[in-house]
Amino acid sequence: MSRSGIAVSFNLNGRTVQETVPAQQVLADFLIERGVAGVRVSCDQGVCGACTALVDGCPIATCAAFVFQVDGCDVVTVEGLSDSDDLHPMQRSFVDRFAMQCGYCTPGMVLTAVALLNRKPDPSPDDVRRWLAGNVCRCTGYASIVDAVLDAARRRHDLRERT
Amino acid sequence: MTTRTVGTAPVRTDALAKVAGAALYTVDITVPGMLHAAALRSPYPHARIVRVDAERARRQPGVLAVVTGADPAAQRTYGWYIKDQPILAGDKARYAGDIVSAVAAEDPATAMAAVELIDVDYEPLEPLSDVESALRGDAPALFEERPAGTTPRYGRGASGWIHPDKNVCYRFRYHTGDATVMSSCDHVFDDSFSFSAMQHYHLEPFVSLASVTDGVIDVWSSNQSPFSLRRELARLFDRDEDRVRVHVPLVGGAFGAKNGCKAEPVAILLAMQTGRPVRFCMTAAEGFLTQRQHSATLRLRTGVMADGTLIGRDCEVLLDAGAYADASPLVAEKAAYRAPGPYRWQYVDAAASCVLTTTTPAGPFRGFGAPQAAWASESQLDMIAHRLGIDPYDLRVKNLRELGEPYMPGDSAVDSDLRSGLAAVAEALHYHDRPRREALRTQGRGLGLAIGFKDSGGGSKPASARVTVDGDGHVTLRCGTVELGQGAHTALRQIAAEILGIPVDGIDYAPVDTASVPFDQGTYASSSSAVMARAVAEAAIDVRRQVRQALTHRDGKALGDRGRHEDHALPQDWRRLLAGQVFDASGHFEVTPDADAPLGEKCFFWEPGWGGAEVEVDSETGRVRVRRLVVCGDAGRMINPELCHGQESGSAIMGLAQALVEHRMYAHGALATHDPLSYRVTTFTDLPDELDLMVQEQGHGPGPFGAKGYGEGGMLVVAAAIANAVQDAVGARVTDLPLTPERVLHALDQGGSEPSAGAAG
Ligand code: FES
Ligand code: FES
Repeated sequence: MSRSGIAVSFNLNGRTVQETVPAQQVLADFLIERGVAGVRVSCDQGVCGACTALVDGCPIATCAAFVFQVDGCDVVTVEGLSDSDDLHPMQRSFVDRFAMQCGYCTPGMVLTAVALLNRKPDPSPDDVRRWLAGNVCRCTGYASIVDAVLDAARRRHDLRERT
Repeated sequence: MTTRTVGTAPVRTDALAKVAGAALYTVDITVPGMLHAAALRSPYPHARIVRVDAERARRQPGVLAVVTGADPAAQRTYGWYIKDQPILAGDKARYAGDIVSAVAAEDPATAMAAVELIDVDYEPLEPLSDVESALRGDAPALFEERPAGTTPRYGRGASGWIHPDKNVCYRFRYHTGDATVMSSCDHVFDDSFSFSAMQHYHLEPFVSLASVTDGVIDVWSSNQSPFSLRRELARLFDRDEDRVRVHVPLVGGAFGAKNGCKAEPVAILLAMQTGRPVRFCMTAAEGFLTQRQHSATLRLRTGVMADGTLIGRDCEVLLDAGAYADASPLVAEKAAYRAPGPYRWQYVDAAASCVLTTTTPAGPFRGFGAPQAAWASESQLDMIAHRLGIDPYDLRVKNLRELGEPYMPGDSAVDSDLRSGLAAVAEALHYHDRPRREALRTQGRGLGLAIGFKDSGGGSKPASARVTVDGDGHVTLRCGTVELGQGAHTALRQIAAEILGIPVDGIDYAPVDTASVPFDQGTYASSSSAVMARAVAEAAIDVRRQVRQALTHRDGKALGDRGRHEDHALPQDWRRLLAGQVFDASGHFEVTPDADAPLGEKCFFWEPGWGGAEVEVDSETGRVRVRRLVVCGDAGRMINPELCHGQESGSAIMGLAQALVEHRMYAHGALATHDPLSYRVTTFTDLPDELDLMVQEQGHGPGPFGAKGYGEGGMLVVAAAIANAVQDAVGARVTDLPLTPERVLHALDQGGSEPSAGAAG
């Protein structure tokens, strides 16, 4: 294996990252080392979704991806969801609906839910359950999260109606 | 009583940070010069450790220290009543996962690679994979020498024994009344149940960061009980408690698992050896090898009259404790003491034994023995009702204890109306609509009910709090309650805010640090909103009294204070009026010992739970689909309704996990579900079609404003409610958890008939 590393260039939350990284460097580790706290590692096996980031709009498990795989991509973590100090509407709904307890799963949940609404702006409760099935939450019993996502969809819908 | 803040749902004080990825957990903490630890674990469930050779690992570049069981400091032991778990396994590994050696290195990869270079010679011994094999007469003893330990001072009717038999680390027994009443019963039903073990599956792993400077140990840890941890660490590392300092930032889920020592001792040992800070962050898979729930078998002999009057109960619980005692003795106490349920008995004899096996140590888990007890007791009640031809609802109502009636002689009175919650659940399920129920049965559907009842964790649990106001009018609450996700930091602030007549965000919650907050026993057993809340309220009321005095002094006219929580007659802008003045008060709360009370203290509050389920059973496949799950509890008074509902929902779905989804499995003596990939955890798709949550506010709680603790009821009732619903639907009785399709099919194959009932007494 080459020790010299791989040059990568990608967009992270709106800023360009250009670095040479070891071939086997895991994306989650890379992001956490650079202070991206919204990426949280729990299972480290690609099953819990706590480490989710959006790569070109798709939720992926960063614990199960290498850095070189996102070369040329647009990577968004929860820190990059909104470009102002305001919360993204999905974050707002999570706060208003108390859709978190310990909060460890929350950034991953929010990102996966954002991706869902981008695909499917008016999801049914069942869509939400199926879409989020790869994100584990041990605290909430999930019900409040489903409510929050549907609430965010409703708000987006209302906004569209008005404009 | 009117309140301004209590009873409302202001935004969680940690919500913005959590949703933005800015929340700080132990896992996020780094310090300059920090080393990383990795552990070598025994691959054998039971083995003599003949030789550990760490030379190759020590010579690796980047490796700073390797500790082994040969180090006398690593042989110090910890545990709750019984101190039997060494920091590192010494001459023996007692389960697959026991830590044999640990490495500190410059980075995690070097530490993990070095672990592979440690050579260990094991001499495998006979594994004791389950309770049955551990109790066999010719089984080897897991401990050749009896470990040190103490039994607590119990009260009337209760006793405990340490290591009463080979491979039994603790036995607890509670009895009351006269056994001869059993012979006058019309029936004595003898039924056995088994309860499977789950993983806690907290998302933040077990993680600690330790540094040792000038003999003072500083440890940041994802732990529920910083002061109890401090005491244990001070004892383990032989120093005064004020030379150990425990810091706990936000905790990413605990559910009981983060009590007592986990990653801390290894991190400290390595920090001492290297003189550098050491971080030990276990993987989730290592977490699976560190702590689990107790599996159990429960045998109930219940004496009843033909009219359904409950008379007496004998109960024998066998808990699989795993390789070390951990909190098993406490779980045994609770499982046995809670086994009668909230019914009127003339006689009870309930015992629980903790059996040592060569499996992962079992520890506290949401519900603490009560889920095991309720599963058996509430299942058997339905079985008895069917056998006697009485409706299960009526059988319960006939025998429930009244509000105000002691749970057991010498204990405190039941502080919830137990019928009202049951009625609410029955109503939500249309339980009494006979024609509808007949129609449901023709579609393989049925309804089931269950009641859960547990004593609070108020006993042996002193709590202190301090409230200060600085010259700029900043109010700070200092207490040791840890934010695990339950929302305690929000709720406790609400209580202080209410009393001081200021908004919730006008109160800062000081970082939890044993050096700067007053003593608290720990954040467990849903006790914060009653026990710690009392201490917080007392401190806040004292500050309010001081503020009034200062206002009186300033204005020259007296303001009365009747010392009541809701009495908020402070002028709204008192902080501005008194700028420059400081106020400081402490509050303390502790339940006093009582030799007459079975567990040594009267229960501080009772947490009831009521559950109901409508299920549909597919008799081809045995699959149980939960169409509707109803869970209800009594919060006494809700400090924050949203937080209460969150607790209810979380515990209901954890109960559902227990009933239908999750269980640890062993295959050929090895843990088959050894990591998140192999363990089937409950996800969104497991949610019932409908989830109906109700929180009652009966107002009898002993906490401020009538609050009780909340958050475990659902965990107690869901499994039995579902099993009872399955019997109602298709006549099949499953007595083992979880209710897998195989088990349901098997029960159906038995012709849907009852397991044989015991003979008439
Ligand atoms: S930590 Fe990446 S999916 Fe669980
Ligand atoms: S809020 Fe704790 S895991 Fe989801």
